Amino acid sequence: MGQRVAVDVGGTFTDVCVVGGDDGLVVAKVPTTEHAVEGVLHGLGEADVDLGRVEFFSHGTTAATNALLNRRFPKAALVTTHGFRDVLEIGRGTKSDLWDAYADVAPPYIARRDRLVVTERIDGMGRVITPLDVREAEAVIETLRRREVETVAVCFLNSYVNPAHEQEMERLIRAALPHVVVSVSSTVLPEIQEHERFSTTVVNALLSPLVKQYTTGLEYELGRAGYRGRLQLLHGGGGLMSSQTAERYAGRLASSGVAAGAIAGKHIALACGFENSIGLDIGGTSADISIVFDGESRIVRNWHVDYGHPICFPSLEVLTIGAGGGSLAWVDDGGALRVGPQSAGANPGPACYGLGGTSATTTDAQLVLGRIGTSLAGGTRILDPDAAARAVGLVAAELGCSTEEAAVGIVRVTSANMADALRIMSVRRGHDPREFALVAFGGAGPLHAVELARELGIPEIVVPPHPGTTSALGCLLVDTRHDLSTMFIRGVDSADPFEVESAFLELEASSRDSLVDDHVAPERMSLQRFVEMRYRGQYRSLSIPVDGPVRGLDGLTAKFHTQHHREFGFSQPEAEVELYQLSVSALGVIDKPEVRPGSWGSPPLTPATHRRVRSVETGSWIDTPVFDRTDLFPGARIDGPALVSQSDSTTLLPPGAGAVVDDMLNLRVTPRQEVSAR
Amino acid sequence: MTASEPAIAKPAAVAPSDGPVLDPITSEVLRNAFVTAVDLMAEQLLRTSHSFVIHARDFSGALSDANGDTVAQGSQDVAVQVGTLHFSAKAVLDAFPGDICDGDVFVLNDPYAGGTHFNDVRVLRPIFDDGVLIAMAQSNGHWADVGGSAPGSFDTTAVEHFGEGLRITPVRVWHRGRYLADVARLIASNTRAPEDAEGDLLSQAEATRVCEREVLRLTAKYGREAVLAAFEESQAYVERVVRRRVGALPDGYWEAEDYIDVDPNQGDGLVPIRVGMHIAGDAIRYDLSGSHPAIGSFLNSAFGGTFSAIVAGTKTFFPDVPLNSGFYRPLLVDFGPPGTVVNASWPTAVTGFYAGPYEKIVSAIFQIWSEIVPQRAISTSFNLEYLLLGGRDVRRGRQGRFMYYDWMAGGWGGRNGKDGSNATASIFGVGHAIQSIEMQERSSPVLTGRCELRTDSAGPGEFRGGLGLVKEVTLTDGDGVVLSYCSDRARSVITGTGGGLPSCPHGLSINPRSAGARYLGALASRLTIVPGDSLERPSAGGGGFGDPLCRDPERVLADVVDDYVSVDRARKDYGVVVRNDPEDPDSFQVDDVGTAAERRRLRGHRVDALHADPAAVAEMYVNGELDEFDLVRQFGVILDWGSGRLLVRTTEQFRDIFQRRCVRFWPA
Repeated sequence: MGQRVAVDVGGTFTDVCVVGGDDGLVVAKVPTTEHAVEGVLHGLGEADVDLGRVEFFSHGTTAATNALLNRRFPKAALVTTHGFRDVLEIGRGTKSDLWDAYADVAPPYIARRDRLVVTERIDGMGRVITPLDVREAEAVIETLRRREVETVAVCFLNSYVNPAHEQEMERLIRAALPHVVVSVSSTVLPEIQEHERFSTTVVNALLSPLVKQYTTGLEYELGRAGYRGRLQLLHGGGGLMSSQTAERYAGRLASSGVAAGAIAGKHIALACGFENSIGLDIGGTSADISIVFDGESRIVRNWHVDYGHPICFPSLEVLTIGAGGGSLAWVDDGGALRVGPQSAGANPGPACYGLGGTSATTTDAQLVLGRIGTSLAGGTRILDPDAAARAVGLVAAELGCSTEEAAVGIVRVTSANMADALRIMSVRRGHDPREFALVAFGGAGPLHAVELARELGIPEIVVPPHPGTTSALGCLLVDTRHDLSTMFIRGVDSADPFEVESAFLELEASSRDSLVDDHVAPERMSLQRFVEMRYRGQYRSLSIPVDGPVRGLDGLTAKFHTQHHREFGFSQPEAEVELYQLSVSALGVIDKPEVRPGSWGSPPLTPATHRRVRSVETGSWIDTPVFDRTDLFPGARIDGPALVSQSDSTTLLPPGAGAVVDDMLNLRVTPRQEVSAR
Repeated sequence: MTASEPAIAKPAAVAPSDGPVLDPITSEVLRNAFVTAVDLMAEQLLRTSHSFVIHARDFSGALSDANGDTVAQGSQDVAVQVGTLHFSAKAVLDAFPGDICDGDVFVLNDPYAGGTHFNDVRVLRPIFDDGVLIAMAQSNGHWADVGGSAPGSFDTTAVEHFGEGLRITPVRVWHRGRYLADVARLIASNTRAPEDAEGDLLSQAEATRVCEREVLRLTAKYGREAVLAAFEESQAYVERVVRRRVGALPDGYWEAEDYIDVDPNQGDGLVPIRVGMHIAGDAIRYDLSGSHPAIGSFLNSAFGGTFSAIVAGTKTFFPDVPLNSGFYRPLLVDFGPPGTVVNASWPTAVTGFYAGPYEKIVSAIFQIWSEIVPQRAISTSFNLEYLLLGGRDVRRGRQGRFMYYDWMAGGWGGRNGKDGSNATASIFGVGHAIQSIEMQERSSPVLTGRCELRTDSAGPGEFRGGLGLVKEVTLTDGDGVVLSYCSDRARSVITGTGGGLPSCPHGLSINPRSAGARYLGALASRLTIVPGDSLERPSAGGGGFGDPLCRDPERVLADVVDDYVSVDRARKDYGVVVRNDPEDPDSFQVDDVGTAAERRRLRGHRVDALHADPAAVAEMYVNGELDEFDLVRQFGVILDWGSGRLLVRTTEQFRDIFQRRCVRFWPA
């Protein structure tokens, strides 16, 4: 196997991970640049990657997520059915917080002024009630032209059953405005329920120009540097897709960045023998938390960046909160210290970066307390302790305390925010965190891990060898994957099995086309059919795997009754059963690399240096040995207080904590010393 | 309180003082695990239920202790049922003293035993740990139909419950694990969709088994004693938090009113719902004595629905406190004598309690607490409304029946420093999702022509209310179709707060803007419609907060650009003159000079307009010179909106409210 490269672009850092070379796993971490491509090339250079020798390039990016979070979009519009311009805004009418009358749902991504309507109507059975009014359509196109709209979502009612009007509208727009990107709801997510379909399509439309511009630029640069393969992008469903597919399904990249971490965290935990694990990935701008129970991650079909604006592509479940190294500290109206969710980002970044930032961030507080050293990302970034102290001092002045006390406060508030998020993913679900392992990664994960584990009673922590670049590794552990579906609402008594079979054949043909687009060889394609079934009158369905061609529906109906009984404790063999949706999961199987650890040190283990670190638990300054991670070796043991420093991260072991190094060079940390390390 | 203590011997409920001391992590794990057990029950119910009403989250769930007190509620439960689940649990314990067995399941829907209305069917499973009754799991869901004289069981004209639907007093449907199919069949056979009814019964009963499984998992892991201690500690914790916060407030007495449109027994005139509230030390006492007698429509509430309104209203000002019986302990309620609109007794019709007293009590409580906690003040929010159509779906052959049952989101009140929320589910339950139109069009022969935010529907204010909607539907392939419309506030129009203006009236129109147009108002039942008939109705916007003449003209301009507010009403309601260049349809701008002059003019004469001769105003409405927005916002005049007939007494009352809630806050 030749070299395989993964690059994960985060809000603050760009991480590179190379496997399959002679040196085992090679990683690099460089600052994310405003034009992300520059950072990618810089990172590839740092990792000494010769793109001419690379056979596989896999890429995760938070670019789409950040665009949604910051609402930085190209000029966009929605074209929809007359009488339904507010589907996006009305939604389901619900709020995430039922009882707080001052908590609001975020405004729709496209304001009412840019939601344009055309007279047309198709009913729920697919019959045309009112033909598309072409003159109105032309007037709408004129408005799009006048407003210099770059991207359009076309979302008509009932297009999931009959897409003709949407397709006609798409043709008219493309003919008149060839440079405008068009996302059509019956293509993006051909599923019943207008709000969910429209919302997903709008997200797709908003992200398409960004993604297209981004992948085109990146592919060009990679090609110039000698890469002959295809650019593969990690989508939120935990699979890869080609850049061509990504332009059409840009919305699937909305959770790309967080999916990579969740995949890597699960992989590491399972390799260590933990069936139950919590992934904690703390980067510059956010903390991403994922959970694996009994070896399985959860897939959600309805997630959001902002509540009320669902994205309904299948996605790995990850909880993201605005708490990272760059999170800004501030004092609220009530005089309380708050941290985040605003972030200083990569530029200017924390004050200690010396790039012009003057506001205190969590990273500044960590530096003031001695919890991190003055060099980040392998020395590519030298931190300025005086700048950090000045910034934290401003917060201290507002609070009326010392700079060190303010820094302790900032770290404690940050930890408390993270602990709440961990509780939501574990305790709130009835999972006892005492039965889970915490996989801590991202640049700042290992810095907070012991304090968080103590707070939740988590008995064991795994810190992988290269915490800061672990997410990137996730991009190399997955297959190409497409999820296609079609609505097929029909009673089992009236449905024609041949019609079901031909609908499946059609889906499979489209799936194969998508895999071919992604350059998957036929022998690597693996397709699985599913049928969604339910009792007539039920509003949700069960997914039943379908093996082999459909010749009759009795077998599937029997399977449905059995599965309904197994999952819900009852079945109704007398009741009418209906088909709801047909879907195909299409995999292009990719060989997974064997991840061999790189080099390690040898005994005896001695600290590289010592540093005074202020404890956030007791407030006292403690003289702390600092070990270099590259000096560690399998079986090495470190007791807290200690710091383990490496180019992409720092692990903090407060007094009482202990760690041993396992054969894969993971640090296996026990939060409390009295429970001996396993 | 009407519900009595359970008659069975108290099982081993352990107070934290004499039980094992729970460490803080175990206590928190268990407290959250209880909520999770209820949420998992909800999740299963969502996946298996037949009623689309349940699917839209018109349901709730509870884990109660062996006394029937609620230990945990679902985190997304519909507000209207929150304060009633303990009553149902206690009603079962009362009805079967010493006769509750492992493997039993009970059903009831009795509003006179602390329930809400007949559609809310509660299924309870006692949970036994090694033969000892330790808890009950309860799943309460709104069935789409429970019989009665109107499809959907909403007969707005009913005065006694016999026409409303089947009353189920506590009854056993499983005994020691055996399904009592005869009993279930009796219940299901009294509904219009027996298969769906039985499907929901099974679905709810099996959902309670999920809760049972979770609780038994916890007793196996932590021990029964720890779980029982945590039951009590979960309630005590909530009680401690509420008492501490109430104790920090000044003692005092407050009162507020809101109004139901009309008592058919009396004719023209709003029906006041008056809520008094005392804070004394760390307890709150609500006083509903002296309420209006039960009214001659189905808009009455029995004590369960009323208690729920008090809990939901109060909880809004304690948004972060978990909900269980610990929350009820510091709340004392004097319901007054039986037979009133808020304490209706058998056999008074109560199915419309949600649209009548419930919303009004919550609204009055919002008024009271807005005064006590001004930083969370909120003006009036729209009133829940339901349109029901039932009959034959011709698309599905001779046997095909359909039930179209539709409710809308609407505007919430303007707030202190913030506009109200647009198109939000009602106070009845913020989690009560509106349905997908595409789903409706598959399941019913009803085509939606329009469902969008209604321009100008928000009550004007310095911080305006949220916008309501307008929805228009047409019956297509139906036969023998009967309509019910269940709402309120066609006359008791949503008012503003602190100088803010009212929003707009509710009301259903058949075939509007055509020769055969008919206006049905806020209540209608058992009316036959035919294919081609169209039905149009608005949901109100929220009331305005603060004087609209103080609203920043740039914010009014932004509202005009988004067509939330029309150019015309920007001038009439806000005194803001907006100009648009006909050459450039996207150009809107504020005419500063014109705005200053218009605001001056309005300040000079707006108080006088509220004293204009109502009869003359009504005539201008009939002649088309004024519209309903003008009448409620500028003149304070209320009509029968269909005929244009002046409601003399109602107008007097409305103008009086207008003076108290609005005019007195305007600068002289």
